[in-house]
Amino acid sequence: MEATVGTWLQALFTILLISIVFKDNPAYRFAEHTYVGLYAGYTVALQYFNYIRPNVMDTVLAKKQYIFLIPIIIGLLMYTRYFKPIAWLARYTISFNLGIGTGYVLSKDMKPFFVDQIRATFLPLWGVADWWKLVSNWIFVIGVVTSLIYFLFTLQKKGVQGHVSMVGRIVMMVAFGAAFGNTVMARVALFLGRMQFLLIDWLKIVKA
Amino acid sequence: MWEKLANIDRRWIYGLMIFVIALALIKPVGLAIVPSDATKAAYDAIAALPSGSIVWLGCEFSSGGITELMPALKSIIRQGFRKDLRFVAAGMWEMAGDMADQAFSLVPAEFPDKKYGVDYVNLGWRSGGDVLLQKYLTSVSDAAQGRDHYQASLDTLPLMSEFTSLKQAAMCVIFCTGTPGETAYIAHVTGPNNIPLVESCISVSVPGIMPYVQAGQVKALIPGMKGAAEYEVLVEMPGPAVAGMDAQSFSHALIILFMILGNIGYYATRGKKA
Repeated sequence: MEATVGTWLQALFTILLISIVFKDNPAYRFAEHTYVGLYAGYTVALQYFNYIRPNVMDTVLAKKQYIFLIPIIIGLLMYTRYFKPIAWLARYTISFNLGIGTGYVLSKDMKPFFVDQIRATFLPLWGVADWWKLVSNWIFVIGVVTSLIYFLFTLQKKGVQGHVSMVGRIVMMVAFGAAFGNTVMARVALFLGRMQFLLIDWLKIVKA
Repeated sequence: MWEKLANIDRRWIYGLMIFVIALALIKPVGLAIVPSDATKAAYDAIAALPSGSIVWLGCEFSSGGITELMPALKSIIRQGFRKDLRFVAAGMWEMAGDMADQAFSLVPAEFPDKKYGVDYVNLGWRSGGDVLLQKYLTSVSDAAQGRDHYQASLDTLPLMSEFTSLKQAAMCVIFCTGTPGETAYIAHVTGPNNIPLVESCISVSVPGIMPYVQAGQVKALIPGMKGAAEYEVLVEMPGPAVAGMDAQSFSHALIILFMILGNIGYYATRGKKA
């Protein structure tokens, strides 16, 4: 019974939410607001049981590890922005987070997302036995170099620079096309999931 | 007529899309699904792991990613349990625990000899993102605050006495719909500790992840629902991804048709508008 009610509710809300593609309507708004409210409630409960309770109740209060009060206080200072006389205190939290974030990113991200990515473009352009691999390497290297040259805005896009930039532009257009194709595929898959639910789990006119 | 072609009401497109997808699901034609090199690479990487290895399952997605990622997650669990791999699932996304729970729900029926706590554990979600992953590297128990997704103490789960650090994972297999996702693993876990990383992602993320595959930072990529369907074929257990591929293909054909019609209409009316 519980499962049946759940399935019907899911089906109802799926249909209400899909109705937006034909016309904005109050039923859609109702479903949208219900989802937002449900997710907010879910998140609050999850945050409490998985984060606040184990950290504050168990670690700080039960185990008496008061050192953790420092980050809690720094975090709470963020809310002082809602009280004008002490709103300036929130800046300490923002500065602290900015400093930590910047230092963290610089120390951790430089190698994997800068050095290693550049290194990955150093591909052999001759002496490769597999001809298809060789062609791929050339396309890859030319694509990277020409795309980077496109962004050299201090040079006028004329003559050789203009032609090379044009190649870079074409490479990027191909990449954007691929990205768009993948986006379409992802959106269709999202809808497909709901259709599978409606036809298999709800209406049961398709076998799983 | 050309004007109409260039300005087809979007409601017709949506309506036809619903019709085509429903028809393909009700009357599938069974288009061939041939596993691509990318998906095979992921399958082979997991197949090469020795029996008994502990594999980390990073469930970095929520309910929106179920259609594309859940079939791949279930297929990998099936493949792993067939060769006696063990799994520890966790995630930086709030629904990670629920997603892992849904994936492991196949275990009692298909692998009755596999026991929770011995062969697999669901640590669920913990807050912290990148920092959480680093904490998992130093101590899984501390990072998970001593409890699994079901609030059971990790001390009661035999697998967790063996798996004390994420560094002990033979492989990380992650399922991502966005951020935090693969970049956090590459920067903090798999890159610095030389742990192979296999990823299943939603289609929209594929172009953004390809540079990491090219650089070898992601060992193999299972791209979207197509990759998931291929994986279902590889583990010889067709499921919702395989069932959906006909609908996926026909809906794409419909979109291409409308793009061609729209462009014909555009070029035919371009001169008139000027």
